Amino acid sequence: MVNLTIDGKQITVSKKATIYEAAKEAGVHIPVLCYAKKLLPYGACRICLVEVEQMKGRLIPSCTTPVTEGMVVNSISDEIRKVRKTVLEFLLVNHVVECPVCDKGGECDLQDLTYEYEVVTNRFEGEKFDLPTDEINPLIERNMNRCVLCGKCVRVCDEIVGYGSYSFINRGFETKIATAFDRGLNCEFCGQCVSMCPVGAILPRPFKFKARPWQLKEVDSVCGYCGNGCTVTFGTKDNEVQTIRFNDKNGVNDGNLCIRGRFGISYVNSDKRLTRPLVRRNGHLTETSWDDAIQVAVAGLKAAGDKLGVISGARLTNEELFLVKQLAKTLGTENLDHSGGECYKGVTEGLKETLGIQASTGTFPQVEHCDAILSIRSDFYETHPVFGMVVNQAVRNNEAKLTVIADKRGKFTKLPNARTLLHKPGLELNILNAICSVLLDEGLAKTDGIEGLNELKDALKDYSADAVAAATGVGADAIKQAARELAQADNAAILLAYGLPYTAYSKELGTAAANLALLTGIAGRPGSGLYLCGEKANSQGAVDLSILPGEKGLGAQQMLAAAGTGELKALYLIGEDPLTSYPDRALVEKALEASFLVVQDLFLSPTAQKADVVFPATSFAEKDGTFTNAERRIQRLRVGITPPGEARTDFAILQQLIQEFGGQAPATSAEAFAALAAETPGYEMVSLEMLGPQGYVWGGDILQPESKKLLPVAGAVAVDGDYQLLVGSSLYHSGTVSTGAKGPMAVVSEPYIELGREDAAALKLVDGDLLKLKAAAGEIQAKVKVDRRLPKGVLFTPYHFSQLELNRIYRGQAAIAVEPVKQ
Amino acid sequence: MSRINSPAELESFRKEILSQRDPDKPCITLCSGSACLATGSGKVFAALEQEIEKQGITAEVSFRTTGCHGFCEQGPIVVIYPQGICYLKVQPEDIAEIISATIKEQKIVERLLYVDPNTGEKSSLEEDIPFYKHQQRLVLGANRKIDPKSLEDYLAVEGYQALAKTLFEMTPEQVVGEVKDAKLRGRGGAGFPSGVKWDFARNAPGDQKYVVVNCDEGDPGAYMDRSVMEGNPFAVLEGLMIGAYAIGANEGYVYVRQEYPLAVSNLAIAIEKAEKYGLLGKDILGSGFDFTVKVHRGAGAFICGEETSLLNSLEGKPGEPNARPPFPATKGLWGKPTNINNVETWANIPLVINKGADFFSAIGTENSKGTKIFSLVGKVNNTGLVEVPMGASLRDIIFKIGGGVPDGKQFKAVQTGGPSGGCLPENLLDTKVDFDELTKAGAMMGSGGMIVMDEDTCLVDIARYFLEFLSDESCGKCTPCREGIRQMLKILTNMTNGLGQEGDIELLQELAETTKGSSMCALGKTAPNPVLSTLKHFRHEYEAHINHQKCPALACKELIAFYIDPDKCKGCGACLRKCPADAITGEKKKIHVVDQGKCTRCKGCFEACPAAFDAVRILSGEPVPVAVPEEV
Ligand SMILES: Cc1cc2nc3c(=O)[nH]c(=O)nc-3n(C[C@H](O)[C@H](O)[C@H](O)COP(=O)(O)O)c2cc1C
Ligand code: SF4
Ligand code: SF4
Ligand code: SF4
Ligand code: FES
Repeated sequence: MVNLTIDGKQITVSKKATIYEAAKEAGVHIPVLCYAKKLLPYGACRICLVEVEQMKGRLIPSCTTPVTEGMVVNSISDEIRKVRKTVLEFLLVNHVVECPVCDKGGECDLQDLTYEYEVVTNRFEGEKFDLPTDEINPLIERNMNRCVLCGKCVRVCDEIVGYGSYSFINRGFETKIATAFDRGLNCEFCGQCVSMCPVGAILPRPFKFKARPWQLKEVDSVCGYCGNGCTVTFGTKDNEVQTIRFNDKNGVNDGNLCIRGRFGISYVNSDKRLTRPLVRRNGHLTETSWDDAIQVAVAGLKAAGDKLGVISGARLTNEELFLVKQLAKTLGTENLDHSGGECYKGVTEGLKETLGIQASTGTFPQVEHCDAILSIRSDFYETHPVFGMVVNQAVRNNEAKLTVIADKRGKFTKLPNARTLLHKPGLELNILNAICSVLLDEGLAKTDGIEGLNELKDALKDYSADAVAAATGVGADAIKQAARELAQADNAAILLAYGLPYTAYSKELGTAAANLALLTGIAGRPGSGLYLCGEKANSQGAVDLSILPGEKGLGAQQMLAAAGTGELKALYLIGEDPLTSYPDRALVEKALEASFLVVQDLFLSPTAQKADVVFPATSFAEKDGTFTNAERRIQRLRVGITPPGEARTDFAILQQLIQEFGGQAPATSAEAFAALAAETPGYEMVSLEMLGPQGYVWGGDILQPESKKLLPVAGAVAVDGDYQLLVGSSLYHSGTVSTGAKGPMAVVSEPYIELGREDAAALKLVDGDLLKLKAAAGEIQAKVKVDRRLPKGVLFTPYHFSQLELNRIYRGQAAIAVEPVKQ
Repeated sequence: MSRINSPAELESFRKEILSQRDPDKPCITLCSGSACLATGSGKVFAALEQEIEKQGITAEVSFRTTGCHGFCEQGPIVVIYPQGICYLKVQPEDIAEIISATIKEQKIVERLLYVDPNTGEKSSLEEDIPFYKHQQRLVLGANRKIDPKSLEDYLAVEGYQALAKTLFEMTPEQVVGEVKDAKLRGRGGAGFPSGVKWDFARNAPGDQKYVVVNCDEGDPGAYMDRSVMEGNPFAVLEGLMIGAYAIGANEGYVYVRQEYPLAVSNLAIAIEKAEKYGLLGKDILGSGFDFTVKVHRGAGAFICGEETSLLNSLEGKPGEPNARPPFPATKGLWGKPTNINNVETWANIPLVINKGADFFSAIGTENSKGTKIFSLVGKVNNTGLVEVPMGASLRDIIFKIGGGVPDGKQFKAVQTGGPSGGCLPENLLDTKVDFDELTKAGAMMGSGGMIVMDEDTCLVDIARYFLEFLSDESCGKCTPCREGIRQMLKILTNMTNGLGQEGDIELLQELAETTKGSSMCALGKTAPNPVLSTLKHFRHEYEAHINHQKCPALACKELIAFYIDPDKCKGCGACLRKCPADAITGEKKKIHVVDQGKCTRCKGCFEACPAAFDAVRILSGEPVPVAVPEEV
């Protein structure tokens, strides 16, 4: 700690603090433009200059200068005022002042400072910037005539996002921010630059001329897309979420968002939303009243007796999931499941059988301080982009050694010094085994108090680094290095995302990752963590609340199979579109066809179109409740807008159904939380009041394993075939919901088949060509996208789009052998 | 000879080289620095080779090309040893005569000797030429003795002795101590004590450390670093290795300005040879010390010479400065402790180690030790590189070494320290070259630029000129530098165009102080110097420009008029014939008249009018009298 005086106030702050930070702590206001809490010190705008008695003769930038013992600082004086005013005059010389039509007006740092320093006239004059605005993409508008060259956009895109869209070009007056070759912006569209720009130079286009900032009502909630659980603050007006506001005070994401969170909100206001219940009459779905719809549903479900099943999505709140469980109980069935039924088994079975827990062991922020990180699959960034940004910061600021076990290249593999273990599709397990085997061979493993060592040793005999290297196509040295780094790091993290397109070897991967976490000591060690991250906003909640088949119950796949054969008579699907997103379309089609089907959703999805009853539900922006994110953080959703038409919250619908069946449901979401907390392991002590601005992490920052059991896992066998298709998530989408949102659709509007340049050349394909892929179970066809990510013979397609009917050929395989036919 | 594995082997190799060299044997040296190459040294080289062959004296003379001698305006330079006979502006056709007369018959070729423009005296020996006589060439001296591509030549002048001494007889602490005791200060501009800086890097935590040579040399007109790097790359490398050993680095970078291809190629050759002899690479001289060095070609901007920008540029990022702290010594290249010094600073290191701190610190003033190389240019008879002990007076440099102002003009000012240095007037000519004295006087040492100006130079225009350069070179990162310089430039441009207004001087002063006090890096912090120093010493010129639209030096085109004095014009028509703008009317024997509307102020008439008539006058700040084209 360091003692210093600012404006006569004595204060004590951390010795790492800058003068600006110290002043802030002391309640002394110093203006800033280029400073941002989360970015590295920069010191370019010079608006934050102060006087330091020990450094006479010049003014000192408070935002970059560290405090020193005994420092005496004056934050304001006539001289400082004069210089700040001059700096503002300088900035206003070229700035095109158009506050009346500038979307930033009212929350513009330049406007505010000009006002605060009473810059009424300008002693200087000069040319105004006259640069064309960049409006090529539909999401982010760049008007460099308003830029104050603070460099925040450049820095955030590099330091946090790790994408590096922008750089400064030219010098002196010609200096400007540009993209490569000064083209239109074409990037991840996460919009971090939008949130950082202190003026109206980078703006969200969808928000243009929608509202003045002060007209917006701000509501803090949690993003409804992925398991990252980012805080989103709605800016609402006229019962619409007009925009997502910057908020770096709440939650886990430090104000960072991905394209889905920032620009993917529009689906909640879509005119395609269901507004009235539907029932099938004469073969057609027809609008009806709630009473009628409920009665038809109740009759259908009753008729099925105990031959029915309930499948839920993982975007429901904990409270709603609790009711789902209540309903299943009331219906007397143990046929209950969520999310396709297979993909989460890495957690529910893999972790359970080894570590005795069913969740990630650490929290996201601590990964920034890790020295070594292993990502199983490069897609981790695609599924959990904002956690991916934390990894980027660890790499950049902490020189973390990043290893990516990858079947294709991706954002992670491009990070500085990332080591990519590029393997043949489907062989992640073998590499994990090999890493474990290196740890054991080289005596690096931490084996104290761990069960099953000998069995594992035996089982790993065939998985020496050299053997696996030969089988997978990865260098043996790279495997060894990765093992050593993980073992030697003080703080390390292992990342693995699960979700619908990653069903294959789910359990085995969870087990293998757990083995590795045990041997490296990562599991349960402060600062380190094993992260098994669910794809959806409340995947972890669904596991915590055990939205899983009971002992005698069927899982999702089995339910669908049973419904297809008539063994089950009725299915109740809540917030899921299995026809689009579940593996094995034939199985799903048959099930939907054969059974009495109740679907509850926001849109008339392909699945809903097959239903007998459709309940219009509400989006996350229209309800309160809680989500538990992939690091066990329970956070509150808040109502931003009211639902369209007669749509009701899942909570209300479930409540009524339970009552119809003679059961008892909690009256409010708050009551539901209290009830679920009482019976959910880890939640017992949690109350809603405990969910502060950062939410509440159940189990604490480090969740201790309950057991330490190594379990041998057999490796996988490479898929045969010259061409193999990988299925996965695209960065711009999440599940199927995002295909109803304008932002993600503006960037990736339709399905595509991605392949590498070599294959494209061999098959004589260019971007946009139509390609058919024939597989054993059927065929799909889509436009081609040529990229550099994919090794020869490997193709990729995202699973979000219903029109692709990908699950005609995707049946949960790690990779699908296909034959490409140019159309 | 192969790898040298110990100091003893080094010494025996050195002896072997020296024993093969006969100090009395005639040796012709030819300067092959960039400037001499530009004036034809390449052709002279071919001619020399041919002629030596032709006259059959291959065995009797040795012949060597060398680095820059510093007297570049007189190149190509040939010096013949052992006497030191110096021939200037030598062309291929002079070679036959040089060989037959000087080598064979010991006779001087008079027409190739230096002639003092003031006294008409000739000097046949290099050491007698006033330009050289008053210098003390501790760093540049070796340039003319060695072929920069020859490791043997470098060894012959005690090369690598300092390295051997450091590696085998000194601890890193002692090396740092020696440099501290020598009180060597950085030659790149800021004059920071090098030993202190080394100590920071040495004490900074971290295993991986770097040393860097700053050879960006962006000051227009300055070329001392180029000459050292081209002429004696081994010395720079030796200094660098000593520094690396002292701070604990095993990797070094040399950042060379893009426009210095010869420096790059001579350096590359030096590195290759040093590696071959085990004087770079693993286990140098058998000491266990490893050191590798990479050459990086600069991005071509002035700002890239600033240390943090340079390091960014080395990392492949845009060459822009970072806020300091953190200083490179703690967080430099790739975030690791890095010591960066200027070429000349590094080249001083072997000297400090060989001769010792006492020797070094005996030269110079209280706080500025050793010598400093200046690039002396402008309105001065002898231009070139000048190495003098610290403490020499500006007057001595300009008048004794530089031979004063040509054409009988009056000295007006000297600008030291590169584009952001300051201009000092006549009454400060006795200022000593010393980091602190120069700064006190309102100028600075900078990297050693020195521009002499005569009475025809307008100091307002000079300030404008430098600010124009700096405005173009400001990286644009921080607001005060980006905008402040531009606004100052705007005001100065207005003044020189006769559009100066009351209050401009005060605004200029405020802008200069704001920019100086609030910019991020030294470019902005020093950019106002040309303005501040001229405002201090030549304020009356500013006032004349603003209040009377008058340029006292008669240099600002917009403020002058050419007027033909009717009392003096003889109607000869010389001016009329010269005028490119058809602005002069007149007939034979009639008084000629300048049409002010058409005149482009090219000065043609002024120069064309015969000296005997001297009828064209330059007016400024006064109305041009109406002239009548009557008979003479
Ligand atoms: C705009 C600017 C340009 C500079 N250019 C050079 C240069 O070309 N060469 C150089 O050695 N130092 C240059 N410097 C100084 C360096 O920042 C640094 O101080 C120097 O390399 C340190 O070496 P020294 O301690 O040996 O002087 C420049 C500084 C500034 C602000
Ligand atoms: S950026 Fe700020 S100052 Fe500029 S026009 Fe917009 S609101 Fe006004
Ligand atoms: S666009 Fe905005 S964030 Fe980027 S440099 Fe300009 S003002 Fe700063
Ligand atoms: S989709 Fe995930 S990463 Fe993106 S903003 Fe939402 S929670 Fe954050
Ligand atoms: S906020 Fe400190 S220099 Fe910009």
